[in-house]
Amino acid sequence: MSTPYIVARELGKSFDGKSVLDGATFVVEPGDVVGVLGKNGAGKTTLLELVLGFTPASAGSVQLFGYDSYRLPGAAKARVGFVPQQDELVNQLTAADQIGVIASFYSRWDDALVSKLSAEWEVDLRQRIKDMSVGQRQKLSILLALGHKPDVLILDEPVASLDPIARRQFLEQIIDIAADGKRSVVFSSHIVSDVERLANKIWILKDQRMYWQGDFDSLKESIVRVHVRASHALPAWLSIPNALKVQRNGTTATAIVQGWRAEVADTLAPELGAEIEVEQLTLEDIFLELHR
Amino acid sequence: MKAVLRLVLTYFTGTALLRAITALGVLGVVGGSMLFLYLPQLLGGQGGPSRFSLGQITLFELAPVAGLLCFVFGASLLPALFSRLASSHYLYVLPYGRIKVLVSAFATLTLVALVVAGTTTVYYIRTPLSLDVIFERAFIVALLTCNLLYVVLWLTSKSTSAIGLLVGSIVTIATLVLPLRFIALPSRSLLTPWLTLALLWSLFAAAFLLAPRLKRAGGRIMRRIAAPFSGASYDGGAEIDFLLGTARPWALAAGLIVPVLMASYFLSGFEVTASAPSPWLFFLAILSILSGTMASMAATRSRRLWLRARWTRAELFRRVEDAFWRHNSYALGVLLVLLVVLGTHFYLPTKMLALGMGLLALGMALSTYLGLMITARVSWLDALLAVATMLALMIAAKYASMPTTATSTGLAFEAALAALTLVFRRIAQHRWMRLDWMRCRAEPGVRAVA
Repeated sequence: MSTPYIVARELGKSFDGKSVLDGATFVVEPGDVVGVLGKNGAGKTTLLELVLGFTPASAGSVQLFGYDSYRLPGAAKARVGFVPQQDELVNQLTAADQIGVIASFYSRWDDALVSKLSAEWEVDLRQRIKDMSVGQRQKLSILLALGHKPDVLILDEPVASLDPIARRQFLEQIIDIAADGKRSVVFSSHIVSDVERLANKIWILKDQRMYWQGDFDSLKESIVRVHVRASHALPAWLSIPNALKVQRNGTTATAIVQGWRAEVADTLAPELGAEIEVEQLTLEDIFLELHR
Repeated sequence: MKAVLRLVLTYFTGTALLRAITALGVLGVVGGSMLFLYLPQLLGGQGGPSRFSLGQITLFELAPVAGLLCFVFGASLLPALFSRLASSHYLYVLPYGRIKVLVSAFATLTLVALVVAGTTTVYYIRTPLSLDVIFERAFIVALLTCNLLYVVLWLTSKSTSAIGLLVGSIVTIATLVLPLRFIALPSRSLLTPWLTLALLWSLFAAAFLLAPRLKRAGGRIMRRIAAPFSGASYDGGAEIDFLLGTARPWALAAGLIVPVLMASYFLSGFEVTASAPSPWLFFLAILSILSGTMASMAATRSRRLWLRARWTRAELFRRVEDAFWRHNSYALGVLLVLLVVLGTHFYLPTKMLALGMGLLALGMALSTYLGLMITARVSWLDALLAVATMLALMIAAKYASMPTTATSTGLAFEAALAALTLVFRRIAQHRWMRLDWMRCRAEPGVRAVA
């Protein structure tokens, strides 16, 4: 088994006594592509910043390449790429100059990759950054994070400003990065379909806690929508095991159930004298149901 | 090393304009110094100096100085790039980013100071003076000046509030008076500036390198200090002042006393002669200009007023103009009182005080209307106009300070500046009639140019 790149135990962060992340435990191994989902304020950015060591943890610990994230040595930093939520480019420079400045910090920088991607993504390297559109700037930020071929790439809402074509190109690039099985990507996004398409692991943050983590298939199998339809009014004691929420409407009921097992339907259906139908949910449905 | 060199190169050549300025600087310094050192002086027919040979000497002497100025300003991307990188997440993820960025800044400052000191020494090669002493003195003065100069450049590109302007004023005056102390008084020991610089650089480096650890504690302390002055504590005044940032005129007015007190300490012992007029009017004129520059943000800030109030554009301009005059009159009042106090204390001529009062009012009016003229991206013409106006004010201040200047000459200067003020007001009024708020957004680039 390969050594994990990121290991966090009971990770927590609070500002002035107010908790913004609590008790997060997770591992990222080489080849993982982790999608971080959560509503605004759920703690996604805080989680990523803790992993990168931008801020010290208030509780627990997080290690990157075996080092405490907050005290990451230079050699370990050379293996990390980061795309912030809002770009931090220097307006006065051209794209080529900005790339030149960032590239000079790394001993290995893949000029060919950056040239290829900038041509594919239609980033004009001669253009001044202050004259670029928001999408162009975001593409440039991503190029800067990819140029040194990092082992761990962390992206905070990377595709928010990109058009559908650029988003698709970006996602293909991320798939290429993860394809060799040696590198990892952790990215947060509001665009659930992108996470669904790309991630092989999903973290869902809810109320400042790691609500769910695992691979996408387990999540899909774990959370289902159960429809109960009877010819008579359903009894008041109706109880569905592991239901996160139940909506009743006379002779019908709909429940969101975590950890559904087929045998539950076999016992519940004759008990209620009702027909039970299990509906698989898309990731977007799961996300919405969990936050409704 | 590669990153440090790349950063230093980018500070000097990051934009097309800076590349041109730096190239001119190198050409002026190297070419001018060569001409000065090796080209034999031309002589007239009688073997003495002719008009042509005097012109040649002037050119040879001025070329390296012009080159130096270009070289110093060629690195003016240093403050912007440094502050951008320092405030970004890049410093956390770039390998050894913090130390490399810091070293690049120090290396740039040292390089500029070395070039200044070397060129200055060239002027003294044919004199019996010790070149070591000249080089050391020029180096420390240049290092001190450049440190402060780049801080001023950074502050002026960032400040959008009275407090920012105030800090800018203090550093500007320090930039002007500190080197004067060591240039004008050659007997003074250089130990103090060396120690001051070493202390400042050590403190800055420690704060910069430990920033992530100091950030949390510092943030809490700063929040506590800033709370009484923050917008939340605003408890009166007109809404227009609140939105334009002119609600606390006393903050800037009272603060102006600090740089003047500082200058009076550093200039103790500075002898005023007929050829070296008193610098006081010069300094106060700079402060009057800086006080007025807050108006450059007026167009951007007026958007919310325009949306809320039912004013015509003409009325909006009139009210904004009133608000800035109300705000600036406090600062002007303080500057006038300071001029009288300094005049009494240093026995400055009455004529200079009388001319100086008019000049301070004109400095503030000119910079206020120049600021109000900025309703979109600053054009080259606007920038040139601003530089020319500042130069005109400085020349007027110099003439007003010279005992030999006739009163009529001083008055003529002021009349010309008053006419210019009216022209600027008219242009500002005209631009506000066609103000497009989409074009005057507070983008960092626009602010930097402003």
